[in-house]
Amino acid sequence: MHIPDGLMHPLVAALGWVEFLIVLAVVLAITGKKIRDKNLPRVAILSAGIFVAQMVNFPIGGGTTGHLIGGALFAVLVGPALAILGMTVVILIQALMFGDGGITALGLNALNMAIIAPLTGWGVFNLIRPLTSRMQKTGEGVALASGAWASVFVAAAACAAELTVSYAVSSGEYGIAPTISIPSMLAYHAVIAAGEAAITVGIVAYVMNVSPEMIRGPEQAIVTRRGLARAFASANFRAAVAIIVVFALALPFYFLYASEGADGLEQTMADAGKGEEEPIVAAPFSYGQDYFGALFAGIIGFLIVALAASALLRALGTERT
Amino acid sequence: MIGGVGFAHVHSSKGWSDSSRHSWFWRLDSRAKILGVFAFVLISAILTQRTLVFASLAISVLLAITSMVSPAGVVRSYLAALPFILLASVSVFLVAGTERGINMLARTSACVIPLLVLARGTETFDLFAGLRRLRVPALITTLLMLTHRYILLMSEELSRMSVARKARGFAGGRSLFDRYGLKVLSYTAGMVFVRTSGKADRAYEALRARGFDRDMTAWRGTRLSLPDIVFVFCFFFASVALVVFQFGVVL
Repeated sequence: MHIPDGLMHPLVAALGWVEFLIVLAVVLAITGKKIRDKNLPRVAILSAGIFVAQMVNFPIGGGTTGHLIGGALFAVLVGPALAILGMTVVILIQALMFGDGGITALGLNALNMAIIAPLTGWGVFNLIRPLTSRMQKTGEGVALASGAWASVFVAAAACAAELTVSYAVSSGEYGIAPTISIPSMLAYHAVIAAGEAAITVGIVAYVMNVSPEMIRGPEQAIVTRRGLARAFASANFRAAVAIIVVFALALPFYFLYASEGADGLEQTMADAGKGEEEPIVAAPFSYGQDYFGALFAGIIGFLIVALAASALLRALGTERT
Repeated sequence: MIGGVGFAHVHSSKGWSDSSRHSWFWRLDSRAKILGVFAFVLISAILTQRTLVFASLAISVLLAITSMVSPAGVVRSYLAALPFILLASVSVFLVAGTERGINMLARTSACVIPLLVLARGTETFDLFAGLRRLRVPALITTLLMLTHRYILLMSEELSRMSVARKARGFAGGRSLFDRYGLKVLSYTAGMVFVRTSGKADRAYEALRARGFDRDMTAWRGTRLSLPDIVFVFCFFFASVALVVFQFGVVL
């Protein structure tokens, strides 16, 4: 998934750098004071641990192997902000010491593996954990495996999308055609992500048994808060924010892609000489024509789907018990 | 992962050979190397005209050959990055035509080769010190330096465990359905985390006892010499020439 220099359109690479620097600045502002004291060697240890864990190849089958990304693992161990910082260090070391990934593509690589992967992994883990809490240890494992799987799959999807946008923006001079990039990246990484899930669950189970103090404990401060403050500080709320941030980071690429022409269905209709007829029933919301409109529509959509899924899972759980 | 370089060579601190240490490139100031190579890569990445893409590839190959930085190591690392580059080039070749496919292969190679020369032709701590002296935030360079220190500790631990696993007859597992294999591998990684965290704390305390104060600027204080300035000038000149021809300012 490490994107080399020269593969992405300069505009896409620049957008990656801008998003990466904004997120890094926010993370440094959040963690600045915390990291300067005892957390400095801790983050370095975990970054080194993730780097070394990436050297452990797991079997996929047919003689092929894959290796860990570690974004979800890092976020579960220290929280998303420190995980973003630590994963950034891993990506920098890979680029500077091993030439793995590039300099112009560093923003995109960091965006995919150091920002999107930990945020998705941590978000999915924390959203699913309360729903599987009745299953105790197995439930924790299911939530962790789901987070780890989603972290790799969404990061790969982001990489495939960036390749597609590069291809569209440059009319084939940069990037990879979507007919090749999307199926190959998603199919390959759906399998790799299963390995990531199994290895992440194994590592966390081992660390929990042997050295539980290494895993970030629940926020004690939340218990003392009340009302809205308590809701905002809850893991569920912050997990939802993490997922929405991932969505917000993906949107500029969508707009860059959309600015290049009609989508597939619109283009097909235009080629066939068919116009769009008046709808029988009009939806109350649109996807939005600008960035903030689309972001708002996305947040509303996410909340509706999350609430519906949560209600469904709770109903199923109640029925079973 | 697609395009992932095998990190096996981390065990030997990037496997620097003696020839690397005696090359003129190795002796350059790390700031000059970083500035020259980064500027060249930045410009090479935006080239689309075939002649210019090949000109930048020729400069990259010339740098790799004349720098005498571990040729085997550079080739090995390039081959490890090749699958992703080839996937992109072949897809462009199939969908957008031969010329664009070849352009893609040449452009990505022109960008990857100088970075590999920089990575293999610079001592790691010199590289980080160079970044710090180029005003990269101290928090980032310190984390880079500490992480690299701990990677060396953990790699040793990991290779010891790998030997122990092999001695017990473990061959790496068969597939994703091999629960025992995955359990052994994940517990190994977990064990590396736990075992080294104690050692890492001691290593950090030892660093602080020897005067380290969360910033590495004072350690390496070199001045830019004539060869450094010539190197930066050559690469800046080449980059400017390429960009001028690309955007037709002269033509």
